[in-house]
Amino acid sequence: MAKEVTLSGCAASAQAVKMARVEVICSYPIRPYTAAMMELAKMVANGELDAEFIHGEGEHAQLSVCYGASAAGARTFTGSSGVGVTYAFETYSPISGARLPVQMMIADRTLDPPGDFGSEHTDAMSCRDQGWLMGWAETPQEAFDNHLINYRVGEDPRIMLPQFVCQDGYFVSHLPGKVKLPDQAQVDEFLPPYKPPHVLDPKRPVSHGPQIRPDQGVIMDLQRAQAFLDVPKVIREAIDDYNRIFGRKYSPFLEEYQTEDADVVFFMQGAHALTARHAIKHLRGKGLKVGLVKLRFVRPFPTEEVAEVLSRFKAVGVVETSTSYGGAMRGGNLLHEVRAALYDAPTRPLTTSFMAGMGGEVIPLQEFYWMADVLAKGVKGGKIGKYVYWVGFEEAA
Amino acid sequence: MFKIPKEREVPFAGVTPAPVGEQPMMITGNWRTYRPVLDQEKCNLCMNCVIFCPDACWQLDEAEEEVVWNSKYCKGCLICVNECTTEALSKVYELDFEDGVVRLEKLF
Repeated sequence: MAKEVTLSGCAASAQAVKMARVEVICSYPIRPYTAAMMELAKMVANGELDAEFIHGEGEHAQLSVCYGASAAGARTFTGSSGVGVTYAFETYSPISGARLPVQMMIADRTLDPPGDFGSEHTDAMSCRDQGWLMGWAETPQEAFDNHLINYRVGEDPRIMLPQFVCQDGYFVSHLPGKVKLPDQAQVDEFLPPYKPPHVLDPKRPVSHGPQIRPDQGVIMDLQRAQAFLDVPKVIREAIDDYNRIFGRKYSPFLEEYQTEDADVVFFMQGAHALTARHAIKHLRGKGLKVGLVKLRFVRPFPTEEVAEVLSRFKAVGVVETSTSYGGAMRGGNLLHEVRAALYDAPTRPLTTSFMAGMGGEVIPLQEFYWMADVLAKGVKGGKIGKYVYWVGFEEAA
Repeated sequence: MFKIPKEREVPFAGVTPAPVGEQPMMITGNWRTYRPVLDQEKCNLCMNCVIFCPDACWQLDEAEEEVVWNSKYCKGCLICVNECTTEALSKVYELDFEDGVVRLEKLF
């Protein structure tokens, strides 16, 4: 029977992996994601989960093991955090190029130096151009759901792409939240067994990952690009099925909160959206028409949806939680995408970005109030003075 | 949808049937500077070259009772020359041959 339990994000991820009947798991410890592997190791040891549990000798090995296991026809799971994510960087493009639907959990951790262990999105966002699906969860429940949704989309024969399933370190990975665990039968209905197109078979030997020439490389790039053009439709289908089977109310790409009459909105992904909701309740009590638009997939980026939704407002504040040093907007990565998506929109809101939650700091309510104030003043004055505000470190709004 | 000309199609994900003998699409013996040359008179068919070649470029022709060199995949590492028990193999500079790979007009 479906039941409601209290789980951390990592524990919720482990439950999802178990219910997805994953066959090969490869681990290497690094906090905060490692708690998910601790749960999975216990499940395998206790006989609750029939999977090969392999200890990689590093993150590069973890991904390489999953590359091979996925090519052999197994549903695979791995994960990492922070510098572990970047240590495996070389493997990401070959896996998506080989069109193997490996799933990797990322519980964010700030990149070094120095050895900060807080949660920033920079680790995962640095990998956003490698041909993997990518999106964030706000709660342990959403983390649980995203694992299943991503397996379904990534393994779809029309797509065949690997997936980064991300959650903020600590804020989601270690804070317990209510999680509705479905019946195994529901999961089985939603997620059919993985059917690989090229199983490793001694009777029909094939070469995976051969050396190719530049004139062949462009064709393979094109095949991946086409898959990314096709993926939004498959995500919509999967979300429809998910909502029907599990009784959820997910939007495929953008979740709106208190936006109906909003003048200004926060645009963001991940855990801090939860704080934003509380800030919005308070600000609305004071008469400010503020809302939230939460991004569920940053790859594929929902260009049309972002243009349509965000052009309804007067000002959009992008709460970044990641950096792109020296980038076009001098701040994070999301504002680049937002402004590019809005370029062809008939009406364009004022936009700016807020560097908040950097280094893994909490974004307190007061900072959301301050950000809302910058947006409101911008609307009043007809412009926002800067591309980027480092929240808490600006002399004046 | 994109249009990929028929002659430029690449198998999905680059997965190809594994070559049973040679991989004719990937000739790799074109950066040799030396090649091993066999003196059949001195060869006693000890098979060291066949065993030690990392790319299986020496094979036994059972009918002719001799070892045969495959020039298409030999990189000129000369391990065979080193392992030859009867000094039947010697290294010769690739440029000394009319068909030396460094003279190829096209790489592949």
